[in-house]
Amino acid sequence: MQTAFYLDQTRCTGCATCQVACKDWNDLPAWTENWIRIDYIEKGVCPEVYATYMLVPCYHCIDPACVKVCPTDALIKLEENGIVVVNRELCIGREECGEKCLKVCPYDVPQFEAGENGKMRKCDFCLSRQQVGKVPICVESCPTRAMDFGPMEELEKKYGSNQTAEGFEYSERTKPAFIIKPKPVTVKV
Amino acid sequence: MNSETTGTSEEQGKVVRTTSAFDCGGRCPLRLKVINGEIVNIEGDDAPEPEQLRACLRCRALRKYVHHPDRLLYPLRRVGEKGKGEFERISWDEALDTIVEKLTHVKETYGNESIFMALSGGYLGALHGAGGLVKLMSLFGGYSTHYGNVSSEGAVWAVLTQYGSVMVGHSREDLMNSKLIILWGWDPARMISGTNTMYHLIKAKENGAKVICIDPRFNDSGSLLADQWIPVRPGTDAAMMVAMANVMIKENLQDQPFLDKYTVGFDKFKDYVMGDEDGVEKTPAWAAEISGVPEQVIIDLAREYAAADPGTLMDCQGPARSATGEQYIRCAMTLCAMTGNIGKAGGGAGGGLMGIPVGHMFRSSGIPPVKNPAEAGGKSVRGTLDLNLRLQKRMHTNKMFDAILKGKAGGYPADIKLAWFVANNYLNQLGNTNKNAEALKSLDFMIISELFMTPTARYADIILPVTSIAEKNDLTRPWPSGPYYTAINKAIEPLGECKSDWEIACALAEKLGVEDFNPYTESEWLKMFVELNPETGPQIKDNDKFREEGIHRVDLPEPIIAFKKEIEDPENNPFSTPSGKIEIFSQRLSDSDNPLTPPIPKYMSAKEDHTDPLTKTYPLQLLTPHPRNRIHSEMYKVDWLKETHPHTAWINPKDAAARGIKNNDEVYVFNGRGKLIIPAFVTEKIVNGVVAIFEGAWYDPDENGVCRGGCVNVLTLDEHSGGGASVLKTALVEVEPAREGE
Repeated sequence: MQTAFYLDQTRCTGCATCQVACKDWNDLPAWTENWIRIDYIEKGVCPEVYATYMLVPCYHCIDPACVKVCPTDALIKLEENGIVVVNRELCIGREECGEKCLKVCPYDVPQFEAGENGKMRKCDFCLSRQQVGKVPICVESCPTRAMDFGPMEELEKKYGSNQTAEGFEYSERTKPAFIIKPKPVTVKV
Repeated sequence: MNSETTGTSEEQGKVVRTTSAFDCGGRCPLRLKVINGEIVNIEGDDAPEPEQLRACLRCRALRKYVHHPDRLLYPLRRVGEKGKGEFERISWDEALDTIVEKLTHVKETYGNESIFMALSGGYLGALHGAGGLVKLMSLFGGYSTHYGNVSSEGAVWAVLTQYGSVMVGHSREDLMNSKLIILWGWDPARMISGTNTMYHLIKAKENGAKVICIDPRFNDSGSLLADQWIPVRPGTDAAMMVAMANVMIKENLQDQPFLDKYTVGFDKFKDYVMGDEDGVEKTPAWAAEISGVPEQVIIDLAREYAAADPGTLMDCQGPARSATGEQYIRCAMTLCAMTGNIGKAGGGAGGGLMGIPVGHMFRSSGIPPVKNPAEAGGKSVRGTLDLNLRLQKRMHTNKMFDAILKGKAGGYPADIKLAWFVANNYLNQLGNTNKNAEALKSLDFMIISELFMTPTARYADIILPVTSIAEKNDLTRPWPSGPYYTAINKAIEPLGECKSDWEIACALAEKLGVEDFNPYTESEWLKMFVELNPETGPQIKDNDKFREEGIHRVDLPEPIIAFKKEIEDPENNPFSTPSGKIEIFSQRLSDSDNPLTPPIPKYMSAKEDHTDPLTKTYPLQLLTPHPRNRIHSEMYKVDWLKETHPHTAWINPKDAAARGIKNNDEVYVFNGRGKLIIPAFVTEKIVNGVVAIFEGAWYDPDENGVCRGGCVNVLTLDEHSGGGASVLKTALVEVEPAREGE
C-alpha cells in the first residue's frame, strides 16, 4: 500500500497553518527546519494576475531516490504504507555524508537539525498519529480543508489521478505519491 | 472540572479545552496538551465535520507565545531613560504602593481627569480584562479616557447612521445562497472575520457564485477565488460606488419599490448622483478619473450587481479606517438597498461589520460598570452621531497622544499627567508613532499592564506582568460571528508572579481601601455571567459541561439574515433609526450640520489622498492591512509565526523599476512623519501608485530615527474622520533603495 497526500490548490490560501501545526506537533525550531514548505507562484500583470501556492511536505515517493542514495541505509521506505522514514541512529550527519539525500531529492525535502553535522529529519506523515487512528496534523489543521491523505488508490478514486500543477513538476525518477487538484492559470503569461 | 485527563499522572499530562481572547475575528476551540505545567502541543476542534471550527496559524503557535522566553514575569520599575527598556524587578507591594502614591498625588494636585486610562482589545475576556480596573478608577473618583474603536469606528458610525443597528451580517452559511459575491476591501483569508468564514466563501465559489475582488491589492481571498480583480485607488471606493448608482439610475436598474418602501432620502442621493445638487454628474467617466478604474469596468459592475439575484456586496472595516472611511460604508449600504439585496437570503446589507446577534461579542456579560464621575454632567451622548459631542468629555483614540502633549490648551478635555495602558500597544498601533513616543516621554507617570516588553511598555515607569490566556478561567465570544459561546479554561498556573488585569484591580482596591470590591470568586463570577446573560442564560443549562467542553454551539434552523424581519414585516419591525427606515438621508446628520458628515453618502477627497499636492514629494499611497501571522502587534515575538510571512513592503513592479528596486531589496519608506527600513516584495498583486505594509511590527528606532522594526505607523496620521474612524490608511509616502554603508 502507498500512502499519499492530496492538495486542492483551488482552496489553499497560503496561510501556513499546516506549517505551524507541523512545527507544534513535531516540536521543530523556527528558521532552521521545516517539514512542510509553502512555495508561492505568481504570473501575469496587474490587474490580470494569477497567484497560487504549492505545499511541499515529503511526497513519500514510490521510488524514493533518497533511500537509494543513503550510505548507511538510514532512510527506509516502509512496506506496509509506503511512508519514507529516517532512522536517526544510522544517519551520519549532513557534513559527513555530504547531504546526499537532499541532493537527489527533486523537491528539496530533507532537512537537517541545526548545529554541526546535523542529522537528517523530515515529514514522517505523522506516523505516530496515524498509528493511533489520527489524521496527519497538517491535514487536520487546514482551515479551508485543502488537504487530504490516504491510500493512493483511494485518493485517485476520490479526486482523480492528476499529478501536475503550478509549482509542482512530477518526477518520473522518484514518482511522488501526491495527487493535486490544480488551480488553472487564467492569465496570459 | 475544566479539563479532560488523559492519564493519571502529571507526566502523562492532561488536555485542556479552551480558546483564545486575542483581538481576532475568530474564536477557535483548542485542545492544549499540558505536561508538568507546560503546554507541549495543541490540537484543534474535534467536532464532527463539517462543523469543526478550525484555528489558524496563530493559535497553532499559542504555546510559543505563552511560554516565550521574553514573557514579563515580575513587576518592573524603569531605571533607564524612557524608551530604552531598562528596568529592575520589584515586588508587587512596591509596585502597587508606588501606583497608589502616584494616583493619589495626581488626584489631589490636578484632579481625577488628569488620570488617563488607555484601554483596548488585546484581551477580550469577560472577567479578566480591564473592566475591573476601570470600575475601580471610577470608585477612586474617575478618570479621563478616549473614544472611538480603532478597528471599526467608521463602519460602526455608518451602520448606526443608516440602519440604527450593528447587527448587519448574515451567518456565513448564507454565502451559499449568493450568485455574486463582491469582496470590496474584504479579505477574510487574512483577517478571519469569524472562524471558518474563508471556508464558507470557498464553498460558495464552488457552488457557482461569481466572485469579484475590489481592492488596491489582489488580496489573499481575492487571489484565491476572484473571477475578476478590480484594483482601485485607496480612498476612492465611494466614487466608484456613486458612479455605479449613476449607471443603475440612468438605466433604471434600481429596485425602486424596495427603495420606496424601506428607505428615506433616496431622492436626495439621486440629486447628488445625477448632478442636480452640485452641477457635477457622477458618471463612470467621473469616477474613472478619480479611482483609476476604467469607465467600462464600472458600468459592467453596476449592471452585474443590479442583475444578480441575489448578490452580496461585502465591504469591510479596513477601507473605512481612512480619512472619509464612513462614506465608503454608507455608499456600499446604499447600493445594497438600490439592488434590493437587504434582508434577503444570499444578499447582504453591507456595513462592513458582519455581526450576527447570536454569540456576538458586543452582547457578552462583564463586570457591572460604575459611572465615571469625571464624565458626569453635560449633554447625553447616547445614540448621537455627532462626534463633537462625544469628544467633549473624551479624546479621540487616534488623538490620545496629541491630547497628552497638548492638554486643555489644545482643546482637549483634560491635562493628562498619569496614564495607564491596559491590553494595548498604542504607541505602535495608533497613527504617528514617532510623535506618540514624544508624548509618552512627556508624561509625569506611566503604568502599563503587559505580557511583553512592547514598544509602548519601554516608556512606562511601572510594568505589571499579566497572565496569558492559558493561565486563567474566563469567557469569550467570537467578534461578530457566532453562533456559539466559548470558555477559556486555565491550563497552567500563572507564570512567575503574573496576575490578570482583574486580579491587579482587586489587589489595588485593597491597597486603596475600597471595601467589598470583589464579592465573588472567579467561578462564581463566570457562572453568573452565563446565567444572567439574556442569550446564554436560557441556552446553557449545564455550566459545568459548557466549561469542560469549552464551547456551546447553537443550532440555527436556517441562516441568520440581517434585517429579515424588518423587510418581511416592516409595520411591526421598523429599523432602529429615527424614521424607522433605512436612512440614505439622515435628518440627524443634517441637523448636526458638519461638512465632514453630509446627510447623504458622498465621495469626498481628503488630505494625503491621491489629489493632495503633497504627492509631488510623496507620490505613493500607503496601505496598512492586517498582518496574517500575528494579531495586530500581539504574537509579534513568536518566531514560528514570523518565519511564515516575512515582513515586507508590497510594491508594484512599475513603481519598483522606476526607483531601481528589485524584489527583496531593503528599501526606505518615508514621509514627513517618519522613516522605516524594510525588504520590498515586488508584486503584480498591488496596483501601481500604492505601497502596502502590514501593521503590527514593533517600533524600533535607531539613532537616526529610522524604524528598523518596520512599524508602519511611523508613517500614518494621528487624525480621525468625520464619523470617528482612525485615519490609518490615508497617508502619502516615498520609497527609495536603502543603500546603507555604501
